[in-house]
Amino acid sequence: MRQSLFILLVFIPAIMRGQVIFDVPLSERTTGYDIAAVLETESKTVTGDMTAWWVNRSAMPVDHALLHLYLNAFSSNKSSFASSGRWSPAGDEGWGYVRINRMSDEYGNDLTMTMHYVAPDDGNINDRTVLQIDLPRPVLPGDTLKLNILFESKLPSPIVRTGFNKDYFWVAQWFPKFGVYETAGMRQRESDGWNCHQFHPNSEFYSNHSVYDVSVTIPSEYVAGSGGQLVEEIDNGDGTRKIRWRAEDIVDFAWTAWPGYKVVRDKWRGVDITFLTSEKGLKIADNQINAVKNGLEYLDARVGPYPWPHLTFVDPPMEGAGAGGMEYTTIFTSAGSGLIPPFLKMAEMVSIHEFGHAYFMGILASNEFEEPWLDEGVNSYWEERIVDNYYGGGYGIIRLPFIKMSDADMARTSYIGSPSKQAATNDLPSWLYPHGTYGMMSYQKAATWLHTLEGLISTETMDNVFREYYRRWAFKHPSGKDFIETVNDVVRKEHGEKFGNDMNWFFDQVLYGTEICDYRVSGVTSRKITGYSGIADGDSVAFTRSDRKSDTLYLARVGIERTGGMMLPVEVLVRFDNGDEVIEEWDGKERFRDFEYTGTRKVTRVIIDPDNKIDLDINRINNSWTDDPQFTASGRMMTKFIFLMQMVISLFTI
Amino acid sequence: MDYIRILKRGAAAAATSYRLIIIMWLTALMMVLLVAVPLKSILKGVFDRSLATERMLDGFDAGLAGDMGQSFGYLFGAATLGGLLLMLTGFLLFTFFAGGLFTRFAAAYGDLNVASFMKASARNFFPFLVLALLMTLIIFAWTALIIGVPVGIMAAVTDGAMTGSNLMRIPLLIWALGMPVWLLVADHSRRWMAATGSGRVFRAMGAGFGSLKRRFMRSYGAMLTVMIVNVLFFGAALWIAAWSVPERGGMIFLFFLATQLMFLIRLLLKSWRYAVVSELALLPA
Repeated sequence: MRQSLFILLVFIPAIMRGQVIFDVPLSERTTGYDIAAVLETESKTVTGDMTAWWVNRSAMPVDHALLHLYLNAFSSNKSSFASSGRWSPAGDEGWGYVRINRMSDEYGNDLTMTMHYVAPDDGNINDRTVLQIDLPRPVLPGDTLKLNILFESKLPSPIVRTGFNKDYFWVAQWFPKFGVYETAGMRQRESDGWNCHQFHPNSEFYSNHSVYDVSVTIPSEYVAGSGGQLVEEIDNGDGTRKIRWRAEDIVDFAWTAWPGYKVVRDKWRGVDITFLTSEKGLKIADNQINAVKNGLEYLDARVGPYPWPHLTFVDPPMEGAGAGGMEYTTIFTSAGSGLIPPFLKMAEMVSIHEFGHAYFMGILASNEFEEPWLDEGVNSYWEERIVDNYYGGGYGIIRLPFIKMSDADMARTSYIGSPSKQAATNDLPSWLYPHGTYGMMSYQKAATWLHTLEGLISTETMDNVFREYYRRWAFKHPSGKDFIETVNDVVRKEHGEKFGNDMNWFFDQVLYGTEICDYRVSGVTSRKITGYSGIADGDSVAFTRSDRKSDTLYLARVGIERTGGMMLPVEVLVRFDNGDEVIEEWDGKERFRDFEYTGTRKVTRVIIDPDNKIDLDINRINNSWTDDPQFTASGRMMTKFIFLMQMVISLFTI
Repeated sequence: MDYIRILKRGAAAAATSYRLIIIMWLTALMMVLLVAVPLKSILKGVFDRSLATERMLDGFDAGLAGDMGQSFGYLFGAATLGGLLLMLTGFLLFTFFAGGLFTRFAAAYGDLNVASFMKASARNFFPFLVLALLMTLIIFAWTALIIGVPVGIMAAVTDGAMTGSNLMRIPLLIWALGMPVWLLVADHSRRWMAATGSGRVFRAMGAGFGSLKRRFMRSYGAMLTVMIVNVLFFGAALWIAAWSVPERGGMIFLFFLATQLMFLIRLLLKSWRYAVVSELALLPA
C-alpha cells in the first residue's frame, strides 16, 4: 500500500505534466483544437477529426466565423499563392488541398451548407484559402463556438512550407484554423471583426494563442516530431502507432514524419530540446543545438523568458529542403541538410532566426501579413545580434583570414545594394511590396534601421525597449504602433528630451518613408595662414608673420554633406596631426555643414559616424577621409590575386 | 634503384635549368601584372582617401561590397574576365615553354642557352599546343566519366541528398590513380617530339603510349611520386598564401616575394616532372 502510494505520488505529477503544461495559462486561449489525425503515406493525405473552439471575447454577438484553409493554396494554379509563380505541382500527385467532409456545431447543426470562400485581400474568386461559415445562431459575448470538423488534407509536392516528397512529410498549415477576431481598439482597429488573410507567398502567421491536443497515427517505421509535448505513444499492433502531443499557448501546430530521422536530445535550463536530423546532419548536431542554446540564452537575458518547457527543431534532409527555414513557435526548421561547410555559419544563422520567431510571432504575436517588418525584421535584427555575438568575433557569418562578414552586414548589404530600396515604404502588407522587394524590405531594411535605432539610443536602451515590449505584449497581438509607443516611452524615460518629444521622427523616415541615408565628407583642407588684414567690427585688424611665433598656423575646414533625403543625427570625428581629436555633433538636417578650426594643427583624418551607429548609411566609404591613405590591404589582395592566377595557370597547363 | 636514381637525375636536370625557369616565372609574372595592376588602380580609385580600407586589414570585409556599390560589380567583372583571359594566355605561354624545356631535357644534359631555349619553344609550339589540347580534353573526359557520372547517379538516386557519399571516395581514388597515366602519355609524347624534332602529334601520342607501355611500372611509380610531391606543395602553398594576413607595407612586400618564391618552386617541381619522364624514356624497355 505504501509502495503504491509512493508510486502515485511520484508519477501522478509527471503524468499530469504530460496532460497540462501550464497550471496558469500564458495567454487568453481564445481558441483550441483537439485533433485526431491519420497520415496515409500512400495517398499523401492526413485525415482529421477535429473539435475546434473559439471564445467570443468581444462585447457584441458574432454571426459568422472565418477559417484558414491554407492547403487550398495548392489546389489550383489560380490561387493567390500559386499564381505568383512560386509553386507548381510535381505532376498530378503534387496538388494539395484541404477538404471539409463534415462540419457541425455543438448543437449538431450541419454547417457545411453555410460554408463559402471569401478573398478579403485581393478578391480572387479562385482563391479558397479563407472559408466563411455563417452561423445558425450568433455567438454571444463570452460564449464559445465549438465546431466538429471532419477534414481531409492532401499534402502538396514539391514542399513549399508544407508538403511531402517521397516518404518525407512536413505537415504544416494542415488543418482548418480560426482567424483572429479583433475587437475595436486592438491593433488600432476601429470596429470589431475577423482578421483572416489568404495564404500569400510571403506571409502566413497571425493566429490566437491556442491549446492543441493532437494525436497522429503514422506507420510504425516513421519517426515523428511536433511542436507539442509528448503525452503518449501507443503501438496499435497493426503496423501503425499513435502519438499524442499537447501544446499550450502557441499560435500554430505543425508536425513532421520521416523514416530517416535521427533524434538528438539535449536540455537548456528547463527546456527539453529535440533535434531531428538526417544521418548527414548528425555531424553538425552539436553546432546546431549550441546555436539554439545561444539563441535561448541571448533572448532570455535581453527580451524575456522562453516560457515553454520544450522545443523541437528539424534539419530537413535534401528531399525535405523545401521545409527548411520555417517557424511554428515550438517547432522550427533549419537549413542546409548538414551540407554547409562548418566555417560558414549559415545553418546556425537559420536555426537562430527560426528559433527567434518563438519570440517575434510566437510570444509577441504580431500580424505577419499586415506588418511583416514587426515579425521578420525584428527577428532578423535579433538573429544578427546573436550570430555576431557568438561567432567570429563580430563577423558571425564567415571569419577566415582572407574574408569576413558579419550577419548584420549581410543584411545591410542586401538593403543598400538593392536598386529598389526606395520603391516602397516599409509598412506595407506582405503581398503589396512591389518588384520583389518583400524580403529586402521586411527582413533586411527593417533589421538595418533597428540596428541604427540601437546605435542612436544605445544597446542598453534598446534591450530595455524589448524587455518592456515583452512585458506589455507577451501573448497578445501588438501592432507596429504599439512597438513605437514602447520605444517612445522607454527612450523618454532613459534619455529625456535628447531625441525630442518622441522618436516618431525616426519611424516617419525609416518605416513610413522611402528616403535613403548617405553622409559624406565633401572636402578637407588645412591652409597655412600667412597673414591677413581687413576690417572687423569696424576696427582694422592685421595679422602678420611675426604674430605666429615659431609655429605654423592653419585654417582647417572640414566639409560634410547629406546627400540622402533621410535626416539622422551624426557624430563627426576630426583628428589633428598633434593627436588631438574632436567629436562634433550634427543634427544632420541641413544639406551640408562646415567645421572650421584655426590653430597650429592640421587635420589628418575625418570620420562621419565613427562608431558605425548608422547602419542605414548606404555608403560608408565616403564617410571618411585621411591625409595618408593606406593601400596595404589592396596591395595584399593583389598579391594574393597574382599568386592565385599563377598557380591556377600552372595547374591547368599539363 | 632505378627509381630513386631517375628521380634524382630529374631533379638535377630541373635544377640546372634554373635560368629557363626564371624566364618562365618572369614572363608569367609580367602577364599577370597586366591584369592585376589595373585592378589595383580601380580599387584605389574606389577607396580614394577613405579609411574604409582599414576594414580590410585582417581580410576582405565582404560587407564593403555593398558600400562599393556598382564599383564592386565592375571590379568583380574585371577580375573574373581578367582571370579567364589569363588562364587562356597562360595556357599558351606554358605550352610554349614546355617545348623548350622538353628539348632541354631530351638533350640529355646538353647545354641549352636562353636563345636556343626560346628557339626550341617556338619550334615545338604548335604541335605541343595541339597535343596539350588533346590531352586536356582526354583528362576532362576521364574526370567526367569517373567522377561526373557517379556523382550524377548518386544525386539522382538520393534525390540530391548524396547520402552515402562516402562511396564517392572510390571513384575519386580511381580518378587520382588514373591521372599519372594521362600525364605520362602527354610527357612521353612531348619528349618524343622534342627528341625527334617531329611535329606529328598523333604519331607522338602513339610513341608516348608505346614508351609508357614498355616502362609502365617504373614510369608509373616515378610519376606518382612526382605528382604527390607536386600536389602537396601546391596545396601547402595555397594554404599559406590564403591564411597569411600581412598588415604593413614592408610585410606585404615580403609576402609578395614569398609567394613568388613559392611559384618558382612550383615551376621547378613541374620541370622536375618533365625531366623525370625524359629520364624514363632513356631507360631500356
